[in-house]
Amino acid sequence: MSLARATAAVFRRELQLFARRKSDWANPLMFFLIVCSLFPFAVGSESEKLKLIGIGVIFVGALLAAMLSLPRLFDEDALDGSLELMLTSPEPLAALILARVAALSLALGVALAAVTPVFALFYALPFEVAAMLALNVLMAVPTLLLVGSIAAALLVSARGGAILTAVLVLPLTIPTLIFGAGAALKVFYGESPAAELALQAAFMLLALALCPLAAAAALKISTD
Amino acid sequence: MARTESQSNSKFAGRWFWRYASPAAFFPLAGKLEKWCWVLAVVLAVAGLYTGFFVAPTDAQQGEVYRIIFIHVPAAWMAMVIYLAMAFWAATGLVLGTRLSFMMSHALAPTGAIMAVVALATGSLWGRPTWGTYWVWDARLTSTLILFFLYVGYMALAASFDDKKKGDRASALIALVGAINVPIIYFSVKWWNTLHQGSSVRPGSSSMAATMLTAMMIMTFAFWFYCIAAALHRLRTDIIERERNAAWLRDTVRAAVK
Repeated sequence: MSLARATAAVFRRELQLFARRKSDWANPLMFFLIVCSLFPFAVGSESEKLKLIGIGVIFVGALLAAMLSLPRLFDEDALDGSLELMLTSPEPLAALILARVAALSLALGVALAAVTPVFALFYALPFEVAAMLALNVLMAVPTLLLVGSIAAALLVSARGGAILTAVLVLPLTIPTLIFGAGAALKVFYGESPAAELALQAAFMLLALALCPLAAAAALKISTD
Repeated sequence: MARTESQSNSKFAGRWFWRYASPAAFFPLAGKLEKWCWVLAVVLAVAGLYTGFFVAPTDAQQGEVYRIIFIHVPAAWMAMVIYLAMAFWAATGLVLGTRLSFMMSHALAPTGAIMAVVALATGSLWGRPTWGTYWVWDARLTSTLILFFLYVGYMALAASFDDKKKGDRASALIALVGAINVPIIYFSVKWWNTLHQGSSVRPGSSSMAATMLTAMMIMTFAFWFYCIAAALHRLRTDIIERERNAAWLRDTVRAAVK
């Protein structure tokens, strides 16, 4: 009972923070928008060309935007002392971390997925592709944040945390990238994206099972 | 020496090899092993390169270019094996709390990264005349590149902690996370590659002449011994750096100077 209450409290707090500090969600979205609008300047504005790179650009942009919000998982809590409370709580740390990541995934995943179809318009992508892309962003954000929570937990007290998080996390997101963008590509070419979606879901479940435990171990190491 | 031996953990008494979990006990043994590994590496490399460059026949399809595989293939193998070894020592360190295991992990990482770079560089030099391009997004090339990123991430993380103990455990954890991900990444990349382009020419798919295989095997052992020697050397340097204030090290250095 108390475990459920503790995780629910952490989950609610995270969502409240997210709702009250507008910069937490507005900045990743702005970043996403700017990244997506940079590419046409670099490759040219012909819609045929943009169609081909659009899926990849939007997916990578969403992953980068989600990654930017990783430091907020633990850094501020370490400063104001609430991380100590989490660490000294009798409830399992992995469950509390899972609640935090779940709340952030929900908020950020929905926000990024909601604007994805709009960006797909920039790249002249058809509606079905845009919808599939949005669905895959929604599925990829939790995987990325779960894997990223390990790095964020390790780097709570380290120098140069943000750039190092990117170096550690981005290579690990390649499978998610391959199948997330792959599903949208399949739809683009008029094929069934079922296999890609299944693998995407498998990665999310695997990350869900393992990452909170690893992140809890990581947090114990870095705050030791 | 005597000081550290008397401190040996009673839980592990009776198993002689546990003794070498202590940096003080392993330091001299590592020195001896390192020397022999260097000798073997040089001897085998000379033998292997001679066999590869002068004895092995010219390839019917690729001409002389193929001879780069005597460097390329062993390097690519080592890049993978060393990551596994690194993750093994990281896991050992996390489970048993032995400092030397973490140090072994750190010692292996740069050699693994170098092997990945050597494999990539020789691969692209081979690819230019054979495939007509320095780089192909081939499954093997791409996963070796990602392996290189994982090595770099591990080393960057280990270096970013002022507290060495924390850096040890943090980087060990990331090595394990990487080890779990390596097969997932490998098969994802393989799938991705087959989706986007037809399978490319693979080295070694044709049957090899016996002398070619012999040369490659000798070179593989040469690379093994080189990697062990380099890792042991780095390990000894790390031990000296970390234990610079320890009495046993002063005694060892004094004995060596005399």
